[in-house]
Amino acid sequence: MKRLILGNEAVALGALEAGMSFFAAYPITPASEIMHVLAEKENGIVFIHAEDEIASIHLVIGGSLAGRKAMTSTAGPGMSLKQEGIGLAQMMEVPLVVVNVMRVGPSTGMPTLPSQGDVLQAAHGSHGDYHPIVFYPSSVEECYRYTIEAFNAAEESRSPVVLLSDGFLSHLAETVDLDKTRVEVKPRTLAPLGQGRRHFTGLLAKDGIPRTKDPATYREWSARIKKKMSDAAANYRFHEYHKNDASDTLIIAYGITYRVVLPLRKQYSIFKPIRMFPLLEDEIRAAAAAHKKIIVVEMNDAQYAGKIQGLLKRDVLSLPILGGEINLREIREGLHEL
Amino acid sequence: MSYKDYIKWDRMPSTWCPGCAIGTIFKSLAFTLEKMNVPREELVVVSGIGCSGRAAGYFDCDSVHTTHGRAIPVAEGIKRANPALTVIVFSGDGDLVGIGGNHFLHASRRDVNLAVICINNGIYGMTGGQMAPTTPLGEKTLTSPHGTLFFPLNIQAVATANPRHFYGRCSTYQINHLQKVLKEAIEWPGFAFVDVMAFCIENFGRRLGFKNGHEMLFKIKADFKMNPAPAGRLADNELGVVKHDGPDR
Repeated sequence: MKRLILGNEAVALGALEAGMSFFAAYPITPASEIMHVLAEKENGIVFIHAEDEIASIHLVIGGSLAGRKAMTSTAGPGMSLKQEGIGLAQMMEVPLVVVNVMRVGPSTGMPTLPSQGDVLQAAHGSHGDYHPIVFYPSSVEECYRYTIEAFNAAEESRSPVVLLSDGFLSHLAETVDLDKTRVEVKPRTLAPLGQGRRHFTGLLAKDGIPRTKDPATYREWSARIKKKMSDAAANYRFHEYHKNDASDTLIIAYGITYRVVLPLRKQYSIFKPIRMFPLLEDEIRAAAAAHKKIIVVEMNDAQYAGKIQGLLKRDVLSLPILGGEINLREIREGLHEL
Repeated sequence: MSYKDYIKWDRMPSTWCPGCAIGTIFKSLAFTLEKMNVPREELVVVSGIGCSGRAAGYFDCDSVHTTHGRAIPVAEGIKRANPALTVIVFSGDGDLVGIGGNHFLHASRRDVNLAVICINNGIYGMTGGQMAPTTPLGEKTLTSPHGTLFFPLNIQAVATANPRHFYGRCSTYQINHLQKVLKEAIEWPGFAFVDVMAFCIENFGRRLGFKNGHEMLFKIKADFKMNPAPAGRLADNELGVVKHDGPDR
């Protein structure tokens, strides 16, 4: 059945479709509608309106350990607070999904306006080295689809997966027929608490025994985690590529920015990464090889452009769209000036 | 199951210093579990950070050693996801009522069915002996070298602020009482907080002039009196239980 729904509603419905049965969050603009939808009793899930953002991520860790697919949702300020729990879930290898609906920061910034300023935070927000899987849809239908995929990736990688959205996409209403979006749902991979002898800890540990002064164990752990994440991510190479043979310029854009630049595909090649991290190295290298000029258009100050430049080891231009306002005219003018 | 079956003996000796109070409380919990005959498959122990936080890894059951202050929300998540589990939080005062204070306020307000055991030694022991929210007024610590300027947190007042509540104050000396209260707390159908008067010799007591843990233990014996039937609340030097099985939510 076709319905008119918001991006945030699609995220909530996608989570339910994926089999999520545990949700904890704290109200925050522009992510709150995800909570509102999930608070309804008929969903039959454990729903907790937590006392704060830190509690909600840790509640979700507990819920997942005890056997339920679990999710929390937030926006920038809350994402900063959740970083502690995201690191813990990485270390304890707990599958869960964290939704971050990006708004203009730093700090309270411009709470109701869209941004893509938390892209690097999604990959590097918690302290220490880790290699998270991050998805970023760009339509309401994709919000639904990639929420389900985020749960699948979380199970397959046994790690917290970040689903990015933005203040525009979250409140964008589109007509979609979710019955036609078919995504295979992966089963649980973590045996629930109650097996008897396992110890989950945020410390570096081997077989449940802390090894806090042993560099060799750390290096072994680090190599294993890196391989685990890259093996799991290999099954989620989501992207879109519109090649324009007449153009020597490749535009890289994602999320709502991709939607805005899409009409320019008549003049330029356009690449949209949906799996933002780990970087789609092969796909981006292949697309870049056919173009002289690479321009990243994004609602932040060259966060992803820096990553792409590091990957390609060649000049990458940046067109930052700052302050929460985005329109095609401004982007067209900006591209001419570059 | 014997109390011995609840302990991972291959993890011994523990990380705790000679003369530490935590071992007594740790073993008292194992004795309590034996008395209650809790099956290993139904038991989960959750801890935070600090010396007491290491206890989770020493219990021979599924256990979770969380980040600093977050034992209560992780435990609440576990209990809400699977109410059939017996979920016990075993952590320190700095962890539970300092950095984790907000979770204590709200998990008790939501009356989650958890037993929270607070090893209250009045100091941040693991990090070297800094002032805790429970450090007595005027005591010298690394971060209050001229004596603390603040009254310690009134944990009893916070724990009993809600219509339904269970607050037990025990000591490392009176272990029969401790085990009795632990059992009652685990059986309590809601949020139960057990505040165990403990001590830290290495990073607190020595600076105060105590020669060994034994002297600190006997100070607790001398300082605290049992009150079997407190009228409303326990005085600061009393051990006992204040509880109210109020209206259900």
